[in-house]
Amino acid sequence: MNIAVLSCIHSNLAALEAVLRDIDQQSVDQIYCLGDLVGYGPYPNEVVARIRELDIPTCQGCWDEDIVDGLNACDCSYPSLLAETRGHLAHEWTNREVTPETRAYLASLPLTLQQDNLCFVHGSPHSQHEYLLPDTSAFIALERVLATGADTLFCGHTHVPYVRNLENSHLTLTAVHPATPSPSHSPTPLSSLKRIINAGSVGEPRHGRPHATYVIYDTDSQQAQLREVEYDYTQTCAAIREKGLPAIFAWRLSQGLEYAEKADDPTHVCER
Amino acid sequence: MTHWAILSGINGNLSAYEAVLADLKRVRYQVEALYILGDLVGPHPHCETLVHRVRQPHRGELEPQVCLGWWEEQCFNLHGMGSDPEATELLKQAGPDGVEQLWKSVSRQTVQWLRSLDFGFFEFDCLLIHGSTVGCHDVLTPETPPMQLLDRLLRADANTLFCGRSGLTFHLQIPAGAVTSTVTTLDAPAQTMTQTVSDRQIVGVGSVGKEPGKATYTLYSPYTNAVSFRTVRYGNQGKGFGAI
Repeated sequence: MNIAVLSCIHSNLAALEAVLRDIDQQSVDQIYCLGDLVGYGPYPNEVVARIRELDIPTCQGCWDEDIVDGLNACDCSYPSLLAETRGHLAHEWTNREVTPETRAYLASLPLTLQQDNLCFVHGSPHSQHEYLLPDTSAFIALERVLATGADTLFCGHTHVPYVRNLENSHLTLTAVHPATPSPSHSPTPLSSLKRIINAGSVGEPRHGRPHATYVIYDTDSQQAQLREVEYDYTQTCAAIREKGLPAIFAWRLSQGLEYAEKADDPTHVCER
Repeated sequence: MTHWAILSGINGNLSAYEAVLADLKRVRYQVEALYILGDLVGPHPHCETLVHRVRQPHRGELEPQVCLGWWEEQCFNLHGMGSDPEATELLKQAGPDGVEQLWKSVSRQTVQWLRSLDFGFFEFDCLLIHGSTVGCHDVLTPETPPMQLLDRLLRADANTLFCGRSGLTFHLQIPAGAVTSTVTTLDAPAQTMTQTVSDRQIVGVGSVGKEPGKATYTLYSPYTNAVSFRTVRYGNQGKGFGAI
């Protein structure tokens, strides 16, 4: 069975349609979406309507949560006052734009989806705001997979796709003091390969090129294929400017970069 | 050699706190710092007296360094300053009577002072905190999966984590660990590396006020890395004291 996993569409309808066309050519049996349907881009309602029309199982992203619950992340979400101002502008624009129906749908999304030994989240199993980067401590990465009970954890949020295999782990834990009860046993060795697959971003890529990215996973062979799809991103860039969103989002989309917006400590998880 | 005394879970129990202070005067070590890792207050009628005692130590006594705990967070919720204004977690654990008791036990003025407390302390290579950096609610015990315990250390980049949420005394060590990680990206071929970890420890510091008549706390030497637990019997529940 082939599954396609999308994430971080960010109101970019042209990118979503391009990815859906690519999926049509890949004999995919099921599509999953890891959230962040809205934010940054110009077509939040249209993107949500398309996802609903296709009945794609979707979990809630951090931008989706912010539109539902309000912008209550702590200040450290933003590396600079300029970045904070832009982020707030985009949030306020999206908040005005979304219909009650779109908002209700975003509110209804689960934080986690599970299918057999696969788990789907936006950021991490612990928070939609946590970044699981390719260079996050391997122990922390492994803990995130183990916390789900699954073998493979699909995530997004970083906007840069990758596949990370975690294996040959051992961790010993001993009770030092005689009054200490015996600790639970270490998972040594792991019963199976654990894996994190980051689906990248459909609508706001940050891997250095403006193309949409997503992943196709074969549940039988357990092979993951990172896919990059070219499309006419200039349409979306023009719409960003026309609709009054901060112009830097158009520039950023055209470069496939997070220029000037990179957080000092991306591993930080906001206290909300 | 000087030590830190590390307490948690006094829960408004003034008698238990006085018993521990008396014990500290008896120990053969010089104690240079006194930490209280949260749950200073609780649904106990002596909370206000205890807070006054902690904030104004007697001459010659150490000034305690206090951080937030689960019960402090419940006070914030009751006073509309917390993240759970419905106090659902408190209601679940303590019931309506417990909510009322906590409301009566801790004044708004004291809650304002509690708001000024730190979330935890980082001294040398040690994290001293009520639950973990995940939150005051995070309960770590010897039954917690090892990878989860290590995660709580790595999140704070600490070699030793002292915590009090469980109320248990325990001392666990992670002598060694390794994970092999292989990362593939769109632009780079698979890169493999093995990450290792060694000599980390997690200490449950006990509870001063949870069990009537029996207070437990921890002594730690940051210079030798030695950990010892103390049990103090007080009141009518028992007599004597000593290391366990």
